[in-house]
Amino acid sequence: MRSIRRLPAALGAAAAVILASPSEPVWAQNALAESGLIGELEGVTIITDPAQWPTSFNEAPELAEMVASGALPPVEERLPEDLMVIQPVGEIGQYGGIWRRGFTGPGDNENGNRIQASDRPILVDHTGATPRPSLAKGWQMSEDGKTFTLNLRRGLKWSDGDPFTADDFVFWYEDIYGNPDIVPTPIPDMTPEGKPGRIVKADDYTVNFEFDVPFFLFEELMMGDTLIGGGQAVRQSDKRTAGGYAPGHYLAQYVPSDTKSVEELDAEAKAEGFDNWVARLHFKKDWTLNPELPVLGPFRTVQPINNANWVMERNPYYWAVDTAGNQLPYFDGVAMSVVENLEVLNLRAMAGDYDLQERHIDLGKLPVILENQEAGNYTVHLDLAFNGADAIYQFNQTYDADPEIAKWLTNTDFRRALSLAIDRDQLNETFWLGVATPGSPAPGEVLPYFPGEGWREKWSTYDPDEANRLLDSIGLTEKDAEGYRLRTDNGERLRLEVQAVQAFLPWPRISEMVADQWRQVGIQADVKDTERSLAFTRTQANEHQIMVWNNGGTELLYLFPRHAIPVDPTEAFMGPEFAKWYASNGAQGRAPEDPNMLKILELFRSAAGQKSEERIETAKEIWKILIDQQYGIGTVGQSPALMGVRLVSNKLGNIPSRNCIAQHCRTPGGAHPETWYFKE
Amino acid sequence: MITYITRRLVLALVTCWAISVISFIIIQLPPGDFVNSYIANLSASGSMVSAAEADAMREQYGLNRPIWVQYGKWMGRVLQGDFGMSMEWGRPVLEVIGDRLWLTIVISIAAIILTWGIALPIGIYSAVRQYSIADYIFTLIGFIGLAVPNFLLALIIMYLGFKYFGANIGGLFSPEYDLAPWSWDKVWDLMSHLPLPAFILALAGTAQLIRIMRANLLDELRRPYVTTARARGLQEWRVIMKYPVRAALNPFASTIGYLLPFVVSGSIVVSLVLSLPTVGPLLLRALVAQDMFLAGAIVLLLGVLTVIGTFLSDLMLMWIDPRIRAGMHG
Amino acid sequence: MSAAISTAAAPVTTAAEEKVAVATQLQLTWWRFRRHKVAVASGVIVLFFYLVAVLADFLATNDPYATLAARSYIPPQEIHWFDADGSFRPHVFALEGKRDMKTFRLVYVADPEDKRYLELFVDGYPYRLLGLFETNLHLLGLDRGAPEEALFLLGTDQLGRDFWSRLVLATRTSLFIGLAGVAISLFLGVLLGGISGMYGGWIDTVIQRVIEILRSIPTIPLWMGLAAALPATWSVLQVYLAITVIISLIGWTELARVVRGRFLSLREEDFVMAAELAGASQLRIIFRHMVPSFLSHIIAAVSLALPAMIISETTLSFLGLGLRPPAISWGVLLQDAQNIQALAIAPWLLMAAIPVIVVILAFNFLGDGLRDAADPYG
Repeated sequence: MRSIRRLPAALGAAAAVILASPSEPVWAQNALAESGLIGELEGVTIITDPAQWPTSFNEAPELAEMVASGALPPVEERLPEDLMVIQPVGEIGQYGGIWRRGFTGPGDNENGNRIQASDRPILVDHTGATPRPSLAKGWQMSEDGKTFTLNLRRGLKWSDGDPFTADDFVFWYEDIYGNPDIVPTPIPDMTPEGKPGRIVKADDYTVNFEFDVPFFLFEELMMGDTLIGGGQAVRQSDKRTAGGYAPGHYLAQYVPSDTKSVEELDAEAKAEGFDNWVARLHFKKDWTLNPELPVLGPFRTVQPINNANWVMERNPYYWAVDTAGNQLPYFDGVAMSVVENLEVLNLRAMAGDYDLQERHIDLGKLPVILENQEAGNYTVHLDLAFNGADAIYQFNQTYDADPEIAKWLTNTDFRRALSLAIDRDQLNETFWLGVATPGSPAPGEVLPYFPGEGWREKWSTYDPDEANRLLDSIGLTEKDAEGYRLRTDNGERLRLEVQAVQAFLPWPRISEMVADQWRQVGIQADVKDTERSLAFTRTQANEHQIMVWNNGGTELLYLFPRHAIPVDPTEAFMGPEFAKWYASNGAQGRAPEDPNMLKILELFRSAAGQKSEERIETAKEIWKILIDQQYGIGTVGQSPALMGVRLVSNKLGNIPSRNCIAQHCRTPGGAHPETWYFKE
Repeated sequence: MITYITRRLVLALVTCWAISVISFIIIQLPPGDFVNSYIANLSASGSMVSAAEADAMREQYGLNRPIWVQYGKWMGRVLQGDFGMSMEWGRPVLEVIGDRLWLTIVISIAAIILTWGIALPIGIYSAVRQYSIADYIFTLIGFIGLAVPNFLLALIIMYLGFKYFGANIGGLFSPEYDLAPWSWDKVWDLMSHLPLPAFILALAGTAQLIRIMRANLLDELRRPYVTTARARGLQEWRVIMKYPVRAALNPFASTIGYLLPFVVSGSIVVSLVLSLPTVGPLLLRALVAQDMFLAGAIVLLLGVLTVIGTFLSDLMLMWIDPRIRAGMHG
Repeated sequence: MSAAISTAAAPVTTAAEEKVAVATQLQLTWWRFRRHKVAVASGVIVLFFYLVAVLADFLATNDPYATLAARSYIPPQEIHWFDADGSFRPHVFALEGKRDMKTFRLVYVADPEDKRYLELFVDGYPYRLLGLFETNLHLLGLDRGAPEEALFLLGTDQLGRDFWSRLVLATRTSLFIGLAGVAISLFLGVLLGGISGMYGGWIDTVIQRVIEILRSIPTIPLWMGLAAALPATWSVLQVYLAITVIISLIGWTELARVVRGRFLSLREEDFVMAAELAGASQLRIIFRHMVPSFLSHIIAAVSLALPAMIISETTLSFLGLGLRPPAISWGVLLQDAQNIQALAIAPWLLMAAIPVIVVILAFNFLGDGLRDAADPYG
């Protein structure tokens, strides 16, 4: 039996809500509708009623040829009994054509991983809220929250024709996840309250995930872009090791077993030019590098990512058909060409060199992109995201290098004052062309986790007088000749350091404007334009004062909390020491003394065992504390800045007018690119 | 003579060794290592790497060992012709560099030829016709080439090409040849894409060479032997070409070897802007990602190429200027 | 050219010529330099730029850090010289900005009714003149209006900051980086090149090896490594100094090589031999005989090194390694212009390249003139 639970309320009406934003910015925001660039969220329909399924099947001409020559079994035999039937957004498409895109090199594997988004058990639909069956046809959580069951599609096959079964989950669990040489530490997705869970095969098509304590959150984790639910393409490429399942029939030869010792494996690996067997496994299980690797997504790699062109072709065993029985995908393949800089990528997109590109497109170039629409024969869509802040100023609560600075970073009124001193409309106009929503970092209003009316504005509107009053009230009254407030310990100017990385958004530039606004209330902030990995090294070492980043992923707090609260030491801008303390269950790091911070972490820990409704309330509670305390100052969010400016060739059909932009929507993969096609 | 050359060879080897040490140090200079930058990159995909996993990765790459041990291991392999695996690309370094090295050399040589082709005649002309209108005009053009930042010029030309001529944007190949295997058509396609980057690269170096050539030649022309030659009624162009030009080439020749790193450095920037598949952008990315074997190999290869270039230029210097040959100390 | 030789070499008899005979080397150089019109003009330009650099804040019409979205990407303002009644009263029109939601461009409409008159010596943001006197006096400004309606001679950048004001402040930063860098290079280059060329032997070998190694490494990775190694906690000023040193650490090798090359060939010259035989001390030979004979080369090399420093600074900034905002330098401004939207929407930001080009040209012609003037054979 199947229980498709609607993930908190529908997101469908998101656009309308955002457009009717309460505060009217400088240049009226509802004018955004005028642009005609923001469409309605729409997506494919997955037909789950077998009565409506097609009974005869079709395949791409090139596959038909292979069948004719005997190189491939007939399409009926390649498709599973439990079919995935997809009704495209528009019409039944036609086969052919290579989808051209741009990518930036091997570090950009997400560019392709996302296209393979259907290779996970459950995938949310275009609303970002409703989970839909993918590899699994159904799933259920037991009453006690200790057993989660996946029902796999019967007859589903890997891209090499081998069956995909529960054994592939067990293989991952025992031979990859279970091998400390590959995965040294258990992942939190499998260890509620620090107690390791198990993956157990019930039968060929039924997999149980068993836990010792109630773990209702697991169901949600399975639907997100998480370590356990994320699927093979993203979770096992680029040295990653999670994913929940793996092609055991292929990878077994590369991991230690009863028949093969580590020494033998090492010898083999060295002979092939790898340092050791782990290095070889990382290569072999990476679909972007190894064309031999069996996959489940609509495409498979032909020319690996570490070339000037990353080329994929259709997976002949892909397990989805359209409503007319045509095996998907329609595209013959995908070809991504490497570019050395994003200006070139954007220019090529404008020249019509790419058929559909949303990744790496720069919102700041929108006027130029629009200008070239006709010449480049493309249409522009603006897809708004659901996260609350594209630029959030996270104050390091565990900073200890300078006690005076630490004193102010941990002072609530100080943070509130700095938040009130930010003129968000200015930022929105300058960097988001006025299309984003100013306010606190809370997730979008249409999301269940939105804490409620008033929390978008709380401490997050422009009020320099109040900011000055607050700063005076906490004792920062002395100023120097240029109007900057002075430290209370040695009378020198109080100088904060904002660490900004030039990455997804021009954060250094944005911070220059914020610094200018803080200057108006007498606070000097030095913007440090820092190279990305250096910035991460510094934050992990607890050396930053304030770090600016986005809070992408926090729209569903439990699936990706690290940009909202300090729970993951790899990225804990709000307090690396707290994160260490939290992640190690108190063994390392430092416990928060601040009762509010402590409360947040306790609430978050307790949520894993809570059922959906209760969990949502907990999340709202966490957001309220976060916003009231302003540990992270949100500026502007719910924008198209990240993958939301979409250039679509007019030759393409079945393209949704608005995509879901969120971590778990796997933009654009969540929109099922296998249903897109060339009209001519 | 032979001893001199042998000595230079030995010195060249020592230089190569020093370059290998320095390139290794340069790559290690920035704080953090490949694992840090790898973790930083993952942040976008929502993956996390635990401290234990990070340590395991460091162990796998040998990053947790002291720097001299790492250097030793690296050098040991390099001497056997194995430059190691690129951490970011997951492929042997030489394979990653592959075609890019040749394309870099092709572009650099095209740029150098263009530089010389422009600079030498103008330099000679400017010296012979000092203070003439043409001298000023050539000088001005040369200097403008030097003065315009080439990254800006590259972007402007690329944008104008896109906007008004529908030209291919960046790259060294047309889209149809991008995926194709090597053929004469592809070589021709490459040749047709060369002039723009070569021209932009050449611009920067031309003014300097014009300057040096002009200055040196002016010095030579004022020497008594030139007056003597003139007095004896030799043809003017012969007077100039026979000795003064050759002598003026002396300091010029000594810089040939160094043109290569100069052009390569320039090509990093231009390649980045024009998205050319040369080693430049690769090197830049490897340095940022702290992919030390890849970055180390590129710096080392370019360094060694330069040493070879210098060696050749020293030989040329000997041939050009007998005085230096005579003054050779062992 | 031959004319120049003959006049200088002609026998002297008149009073004026007598003056020449007793003049010092410096005076001679100056006289000869004055004849080189282009060089003199270039010298004036260079001086002018340094004057701008010194008086940058005074010349700025607006706070170079003041941001405002409502004036993002304003094109250079048109100045109207005469009032309606024909009197000479330079003014600009007040601007109203609006985003066109079809094109997403910011459109500014001038209101001819709302005139703002230009005035000299107006009050503006406070600064320290020459780093000494606290003042808020600025050369040029508008007679009235809110601060955000300042005069935008050269338009504004994305953040709505006045481009003219940023340009003059950038001039200060970049020109002084160049100067400091060249000073360091010159010192190292002449010292090490001279030692190398004069003494030869193992010192020469060692120095030559160092130069060869330094120059064999492509400069950009070297810069990158060094720049990335700068502590992230350093202030803009410290980074500024460090960048100067980094640039000059590479720059000196060129000079050293030139100096050494000249030493090597001069050593074989008759007049040096003669001086040696006459028992002149080594130092005297170097400074009395050899240095003057290749001073011209040093000057030529310096005149080339300075522009190279400036270009290096812009390249480093372009690569994100040099000075970074909030510092303002030519490199930082050029990097601002280094994107498609700037080219398409705000091409005036490219004007940052103009002072770079002018200064580099001026330095080169100046160096050229100096070189010719200092040449003892000239």
